[in-house]
Amino acid sequence: MAGISSGITTNYIYACTRMRVRRSRLIPREDYLRMLNMGLPEITRFIGDTYYRSEIDELATSFSGINLVEVALSWNLAKEYQNILKLVPGELEYFTASYLRRWDIQNVVTILRGKMQSERSDRIKEVLVPAGRLDKVALDRLLTEESPERVVEALKGEPIYPVLEAELPGALETGSFAHLENELYKGYYAQLIADARAGIKGGKMFLKYIELEIDIRNIQNLFRLRAGHVHEDVRELMIPGGSFSVEELQRLSGITERDEFIDTLKKQMKALPLLNALEAIRGKEHLHEIEVALTRVQLDQMERMSKRYPFSVLPVLVYLEEKKYEVANLRALARGKEANLPGERLHGYLVM
Amino acid sequence: MVDVGMTLEMVEASQMGMKAIGAALAVGLTGIASGIAEMTVGSAAVGATAENRDVFGLVLLLTVIPETIVIFGLVVALLLLF
Repeated sequence: MAGISSGITTNYIYACTRMRVRRSRLIPREDYLRMLNMGLPEITRFIGDTYYRSEIDELATSFSGINLVEVALSWNLAKEYQNILKLVPGELEYFTASYLRRWDIQNVVTILRGKMQSERSDRIKEVLVPAGRLDKVALDRLLTEESPERVVEALKGEPIYPVLEAELPGALETGSFAHLENELYKGYYAQLIADARAGIKGGKMFLKYIELEIDIRNIQNLFRLRAGHVHEDVRELMIPGGSFSVEELQRLSGITERDEFIDTLKKQMKALPLLNALEAIRGKEHLHEIEVALTRVQLDQMERMSKRYPFSVLPVLVYLEEKKYEVANLRALARGKEANLPGERLHGYLVM
Repeated sequence: MVDVGMTLEMVEASQMGMKAIGAALAVGLTGIASGIAEMTVGSAAVGATAENRDVFGLVLLLTVIPETIVIFGLVVALLLLF
């Protein structure tokens, strides 16, 4: 606890305690297991009895069924993230805002896709999550623009503008935003690393989180590519900045034997929980099981790191990530129940 | 500190002064220590109360626990002086 005499430390303790209390209020595993046996109306009622009540009550007049759950979850997530951004002090706010920029990318790409498909603005608005730098007002302004080009023009001055400007013509030509999205996320991670290395107090801990996130994301992508039988040049799809270089990842993707691939991956890993998770993955067949296992190990590892550095940006990030997965879980549950999927099948998709 | 040229009254006064300095240090230093300890506990307590008002009574108790440090200091100071 460096700098005990400085006023900043107390702010850190205050903010990190609030995050820990909020984290303890997240829906526990037992409740998910109970929800697996419920129908959609019961799940909606169950969610309405928790801290999602205000959103459910507010939106109940405009939406119903699955749409009510989806929109309420998105609104709550956005509200919670914006609230945290106001609550965390100084350096923590800087890092948190930097982390939340990923929602800008998601929102902008959603708007671009919607505009490309000539979708109605109100339909696009339903799926936006204004949790990043671009708030509801900014997103509404973007929604009023008529074409993808105009949307990008309106974003002049934003950190993502240069990538959008360079990649949009290609995306419009091919009709696919996949490459544009990849480049935006690569730019996002590069910016995160630059922010962490900007010499601001606490940057070292932030960098640890970014490296872990990039590693897990790259490993997940490698498993996805293997599932799709893609063994050619994957360099463009990998995120630089983690503990694996892009060249190493390319070599890994070239290994066709699954066990050999996992063994090689394990040789380059140091953290024991990650090694155990990779060993557990060996017996898993389905891609979603592998992804959930890797996400779980990432959250556990983050939690471990946040205990090692209790008054840093890490407890805030742990809460933000766990909240994101809670919303994803509830959405998966609601959607799954809507589609009449059996509970056992849905169980495999939940990050608990 | 006893000088050859000092009278008994002077020696007694000097000893009294030393006791007073000791007592002052005992209260002062433990006061600062309590302050630092309460600073961290207090920040966490305010954070926890902001999220959940029900814990107010409990965290108030936790916040004043470091107060024992300064009470020990006070006891030592009183023992020194009387």
